Amino acid sequence: MRPLLAALVAIAAFVWLWRARSARHAQRLRARFEDAQQKLERLQYAFERFAPRDVVDRLAAGSEPPAERRDVTVLFADLVGFTRLSESVEPAVLVRVLNGHHARMQRAIAEHRGHVALLIGDGLLALFGAFDHNPWQCDDAARAALAMRAELAGYNRELEREQLPALALGIGLHRGVVVTGLVGSAELQQWTAVGRTVNLAARVQDLTRDHGVDILLTESVRKELDPRFALRELPARSVRGIAQPVVTWALDRFEG
Amino acid sequence: MRPLVYDRAVSAVGSLLESIEWESCALEPLPDAELLAYLRRELGMVPRTAIYMTPCPWIVRSLAGLNQYNALLAHLEIPLAELIALTVSEDNSCRYCFGMQRFVLRMQGVPEPRIRALADSLFAAELDPRSRSALEFARRFSRANPLLAAADAEPLRRAGWSEPAIREIAFVAAAHVYYNRVATLPALPPQPMENLPDRWWMRVFAGAIGRRIRRSQRPGAPESLPPDARAGPFEALVASLDGLPAARALRGILDEAFASAVLPRRTKGLIFAVVAHALGCPRSEAEAARLLAADGLGAPERDEILAHLASPRLDATEAALLPLARDTIHYRPAQIQRRARALRDTIGVEPFVEFVGVASLANAVCRLASLTAEMS
Repeated sequence: MRPLLAALVAIAAFVWLWRARSARHAQRLRARFEDAQQKLERLQYAFERFAPRDVVDRLAAGSEPPAERRDVTVLFADLVGFTRLSESVEPAVLVRVLNGHHARMQRAIAEHRGHVALLIGDGLLALFGAFDHNPWQCDDAARAALAMRAELAGYNRELEREQLPALALGIGLHRGVVVTGLVGSAELQQWTAVGRTVNLAARVQDLTRDHGVDILLTESVRKELDPRFALRELPARSVRGIAQPVVTWALDRFEG
Repeated sequence: MRPLVYDRAVSAVGSLLESIEWESCALEPLPDAELLAYLRRELGMVPRTAIYMTPCPWIVRSLAGLNQYNALLAHLEIPLAELIALTVSEDNSCRYCFGMQRFVLRMQGVPEPRIRALADSLFAAELDPRSRSALEFARRFSRANPLLAAADAEPLRRAGWSEPAIREIAFVAAAHVYYNRVATLPALPPQPMENLPDRWWMRVFAGAIGRRIRRSQRPGAPESLPPDARAGPFEALVASLDGLPAARALRGILDEAFASAVLPRRTKGLIFAVVAHALGCPRSEAEAARLLAADGLGAPERDEILAHLASPRLDATEAALLPLARDTIHYRPAQIQRRARALRDTIGVEPFVEFVGVASLANAVCRLASLTAEMS
């Protein structure tokens, strides 16, 4: 009787230990799964800064988000004389200066409800009204441009203390219809906007050098703009790819 | 015999929401015995939100008035309404409301992994087609990007939902669009509720708390709007809910909100107009225009204000709060909370609390108005 009892106790202990071990193993697996899940969630949340939430949701679910036409205000910004700067400072310094610049510009844009759709070296493409319906997108884009000017002025003071050359910025604003969607190949894709509106914003940015100003906008933006923005009309200029000469306005300040 | 392995991996789960940046609370708790007694009578409990909202009694009363447990649902099951609340709160990144819903579900025996699965991805969660269609609809309703139209309710009809039930799904989503903003704008502290289900003593009493929660859930019955409840702000929207208990509840909240004297009626009309314009809801814009005209603000003046959210015709309070009203549509919590705190410092606590309530209500009402206009 006693050996049988001992055997039963041994079996029970073995089963209990085996179950405890299995439970611990399951717990570890669950913890790893939770960890991976959290990383994915954070990634998904972070992605919502770069593409509309529905696009992120569709990507997370493994489906292709559709391309769409949207009425947006495009801000195209480029550093003036950056190529010259890139030849005169150390590569590490150049990258640090550029990253500092981009961080400040992105902050100014996000603060005014825009989002950066593309970084192109020292330039950037930002969209207003691309994620959500935004009836005040022109005002937002103009305020962002002024905030970028102010950020750059502050950054230049920091660079001056380091005896680095000051940066100068050209910004072009234009409103119109763009096509938004995932652009790229399977290896590298980006949610961005393409079309004539984007091209014209880039050309208007180029015109800042011709006119000797830092912020230029087109008629499509001007007619929607709060009258408290102080503008100066500039002579029409021909730009590549556009049949008619383009009339632009220099944005001086906000008189609020 | 069950091995004594403390399931830390699940119980100490850190939802993504808990890592979302959330500012410190912009309001002090100000308990009001009479208002809290009212909630206890109506709901059988006092939501923590109430003690922060007492400067505006109508907001405190709305915590019972729009509550899904409070005999408001005649066609929709309360457990599904709870999942809608969870989904909408997650989508609005409302840590406070999500924590509350998680607590309610946990106490009723819903396992944490199930809650996580629903919060993480509706696409991936295991759901029957009927529930899935309701939750996806509720999320799209809340997101309002774009605003829902009648065609968006088609998947619900295909899944077998009746027209009154679809309206109730939209109503529950709208109620949580409202609650989420009431909690998020002043940054009500989410931590106590987030940690509560994981306390050992909560595990011990979970069964009893769950039974108490279930007892407080009262289903409603179909009812017609009384004749004296047919007129008032957004009467067409309220009429489109006629036959549901939700119609009378919404009528009551709208009337109380517009009757409150903390902010002038015109200011409230302007908040509704800005939210309607930002959402792109013509029906709500037209109703806001009607309300503003009744308060002496004509179309040219209104259009001038809405064009740039600024005008010499605005008083100092309106000039300060209208730009924030537009930001209540889509936001990141910490960003809007910093702006909200700056507004509180500019206009004072009482007007700020009423602004929070009115802007939140405008978000719910304009979304609902857009959908029901298309459906009716």
